[in-house]
Amino acid sequence: MLVPISWLKDFVKIKLPLKDLMWKMTEVGLTCESFKKIGDETILDVEVTPNRPDWMGIIGIAREVAAIQGLKIKDLKLKDLPKKSASLPIKLIPNFNLFERWTGIIIKDVEIKPSPKWLADRIRLMGHEPINNVIDITNYVMYEFGIPMHAFDYDEILGAEMKVQKSLGKEEFKSVDGLDYILPKDAIVIKDVERIIDLAGIKGGANSGINNASKNIFLHITINNPVLIRRASIALGLRSEASAIYERGPDKGGVIAALNRATGLILDLAGGEVASETIDLKKTVISDWPLAISFEKLEKVLGIKIPTREVIGILERLNLNPSIKGGGIICTIPTYRGDLKIEEDLIEEVARIYGYNKFPKTLPTGRQASEKIPYFFDGSIHQKLREILISSGYSEVMTFSLISTELIENCLLSPKDHVTLENPVSLDYEHMRTSLIPSLLAGIKINRDEKVLLFELDKIFPEEDYKLSGVVKGLTFREFKGSIDIILEKLNVENFEIEFETSEPFWHPTKRARIRIDKEITGSFGEINPQVLSNLGIKGVIYAFEFEVAALNKHSQKIIFKPVSEFPPQIEDLTLTFPPKTRIGEVIKLIPNSKLTDIYKDSYTFRVRYQDPKKTLTDKEVEEIRNKILSKIKSKLGGILKN
Amino acid sequence: MQEEIINIKNEAVAQISSAQDNAELEELRASYLGRNGKFTLLVKKIKDVPQNARKEYGMTLNDAKKTIENLITNKKQELIKSLTEKRDWFDLSIPGVKPKLGHTHPLRTVLNKVTDIFKYLGYQVADGPEIETDYYNFEALNIPKDHPARDTQMTFYTNTENILRTQTSAMQGRVMEKMKPPFRVLVPGRCFRYEQVDASHGFEFWQVEGFVLDKDIKLTDLFGTIDYVLKELFGKKIKLKYATTNFPFVEPGVDTYMSCTICGGRGCSFCKKTGWSEIMPAGMIHPNVLKMAKIDTKIWGGFAFAIGLSRIVNLRYQIKDLRTLATPDLRILSQF
Repeated sequence: MLVPISWLKDFVKIKLPLKDLMWKMTEVGLTCESFKKIGDETILDVEVTPNRPDWMGIIGIAREVAAIQGLKIKDLKLKDLPKKSASLPIKLIPNFNLFERWTGIIIKDVEIKPSPKWLADRIRLMGHEPINNVIDITNYVMYEFGIPMHAFDYDEILGAEMKVQKSLGKEEFKSVDGLDYILPKDAIVIKDVERIIDLAGIKGGANSGINNASKNIFLHITINNPVLIRRASIALGLRSEASAIYERGPDKGGVIAALNRATGLILDLAGGEVASETIDLKKTVISDWPLAISFEKLEKVLGIKIPTREVIGILERLNLNPSIKGGGIICTIPTYRGDLKIEEDLIEEVARIYGYNKFPKTLPTGRQASEKIPYFFDGSIHQKLREILISSGYSEVMTFSLISTELIENCLLSPKDHVTLENPVSLDYEHMRTSLIPSLLAGIKINRDEKVLLFELDKIFPEEDYKLSGVVKGLTFREFKGSIDIILEKLNVENFEIEFETSEPFWHPTKRARIRIDKEITGSFGEINPQVLSNLGIKGVIYAFEFEVAALNKHSQKIIFKPVSEFPPQIEDLTLTFPPKTRIGEVIKLIPNSKLTDIYKDSYTFRVRYQDPKKTLTDKEVEEIRNKILSKIKSKLGGILKN
Repeated sequence: MQEEIINIKNEAVAQISSAQDNAELEELRASYLGRNGKFTLLVKKIKDVPQNARKEYGMTLNDAKKTIENLITNKKQELIKSLTEKRDWFDLSIPGVKPKLGHTHPLRTVLNKVTDIFKYLGYQVADGPEIETDYYNFEALNIPKDHPARDTQMTFYTNTENILRTQTSAMQGRVMEKMKPPFRVLVPGRCFRYEQVDASHGFEFWQVEGFVLDKDIKLTDLFGTIDYVLKELFGKKIKLKYATTNFPFVEPGVDTYMSCTICGGRGCSFCKKTGWSEIMPAGMIHPNVLKMAKIDTKIWGGFAFAIGLSRIVNLRYQIKDLRTLATPDLRILSQF
């Protein structure tokens, strides 16, 4: 909402310097962070929150500015309208579910011409080009009162009849600014005996709009069903200044004053005479309402005691007509403050005008939950996994949950298996990912370093389970595999099996495996399918892993300390050969306290450490252990000692 | 026999005096005095020595061993002395070979810090769904269908009946309807809004929601909490100011402005030249929100706030483009 200062000054004196005024307005909720200058005029740009339709008009803003400064607003002196001196008939057929209030007047024999300079200038200050005197006046009064109104060419209201109803859908409608629309269902429209002449609350119709030849006009204000206005304007993609006001719900009690203001201006600037009584159709009497606030609650919510005199003063400045009653205050809320419905609303009024920045600061005393809250999140396993990977050289990335069809298909996955947005902001971000690996591969693609190690720990969809995934470039398989080994080792996971198969198609057809712990699939790893790499334009060999974090957590065993043996170990290297396709991972499980130190052709050298916690092993005892190991390897896997 | 001792001793003396370092000396000690050392073997030979010569043999041998021991000890001292007295010039400015560590994402670092601060204040962390129902995301927060406040949180709709959550506040209803107060809850997580991507807007961003319910929660507690948390995060020198705002799920509503840490309050493109950054919307929980979760508003009340985490990370590290954080580029990540 634009607020020219000169216009504001019609209603309120401004004592504060501009910068202070802007901050005070912001502090009370009328956010004003910028202004522009046009000639001598300063125009504030204010953000109006959805609860304050009254701030959609200069008068409403003036009331707030007056309250901030402790001043009284200069009321608009409305002249008494001349009595009806001619008579033109009009028949309005209301529907109070659509128009809660419908107010109008007919003016005969106006002269449509350009607006005088002062009026045209103000229309321009609001960012619009003036059109003609009557239309400019309806806009002017809307800007002033925050109440939209519309003027019809009376002679184009066929049958002098107006009926409000819902659109059926698919009707054609040409707006007063010459654009064609196909109406959605349930928009509020006004029909004469033949045609739709108004898309209520949004745009007037071209067929009944004011043009230079118009003589007689029907001027009206409607209080519309805000939900229907909002739905229709969203469906049409047509948000007007009027629809923005209607969605918030304009002042039902202010329509007569606004109609009088516009009528007076029209008679002054376009001539003519009043040709009907003021029509005012409404279902119920619209009046101010009482709202109470108790001192006890006020103090309880705010945490400070504001002296009663000051509370009363604040409420008076806001024109809320406070009077002390019992342990509190009763206010009478004017119709333009439709946002004030419950006691808490009044508490906010007191607090914001008192000044948020005058409040002391405390911390909650008292209690915390005595048990775990629902949806409690224990991030310790997440943190542990991150620490393992970061100290292993992996860098953490935090990419988007939304990914593109292209990336999914490049990774040989199917977009159909993904939760998909109906209204993506861009085709790059359309589907909720089912794996973190595609995003990580995209990360590999943009990094030019020789070695790249990336990981991400986040949710996949629709399950919203946490996955831990890593992708590496520039490492040998064994260098990569070490990070899987270390994860399992640091989490103290025992009894895992490596199965040479996976389900996701982005893995290499043979160089991939999954990890099963106690019958549960816990993760997959291996080489990325060369087809995927070719699709993504990635060169070289890429390895990756993806773990189920919850499963890892479940199978992570508590570490039990083993006392350090005081007795020296015997260490020796054993070189073995195996039949083709022997799983060395199975071999090493049969050699306790050993590691693979060398591979040469078909020979594998293991460094074995023989040690007993209670004694120094003799050569003979070592030999016994060695023989047991070797015979097991031979009988189970066919491996033979070479040295 | 005596001669053999003398020969070995002479050989040892020569080797020890020409030894270059400790390791060599230790090797010599082992080869002469160790389990299979030359002197040890000579000791074992004592049984071959005629009875009458054994005493002399033993004495000579012991003398020789003692001499060697002393020589080694002295030589060690001499070596240490020469090392410390040499005063070699050594370049300590030469760059090291860095251990290959990975990098923690800056958003994670800040999130961990935020979480730590709130845990200290007695909050428990909750984790909620990113694909959320309209009910928890809007209706339970007093934003019915067709409420204009929905415009400020343009929503992504999915091909399921659910939406992507626009705010982690969606967890308020979920927690409140399952547990009796008092509680203090923190909900970090991703949120999604239908917004065109540019330097200061993202369609995916991180938010940390917090809410507290108890019998005696006051507006001053909210101001105090915001003040405490932001000063812990950004240091005591920052300036804060509060303004009224309107969200349907709070009343009174509070917006928090922090002096811009990028320009120091002078005004820059990040703070839209105002010198202030809008950082932490908050308010006292609206009674309608409590009523929908069947919480008795006569007894219980509380406050809620939301921290724009992505924004805080940007302010902290002076990152001017919101998109930077989501880019998996090591030239960015390796700076943290």
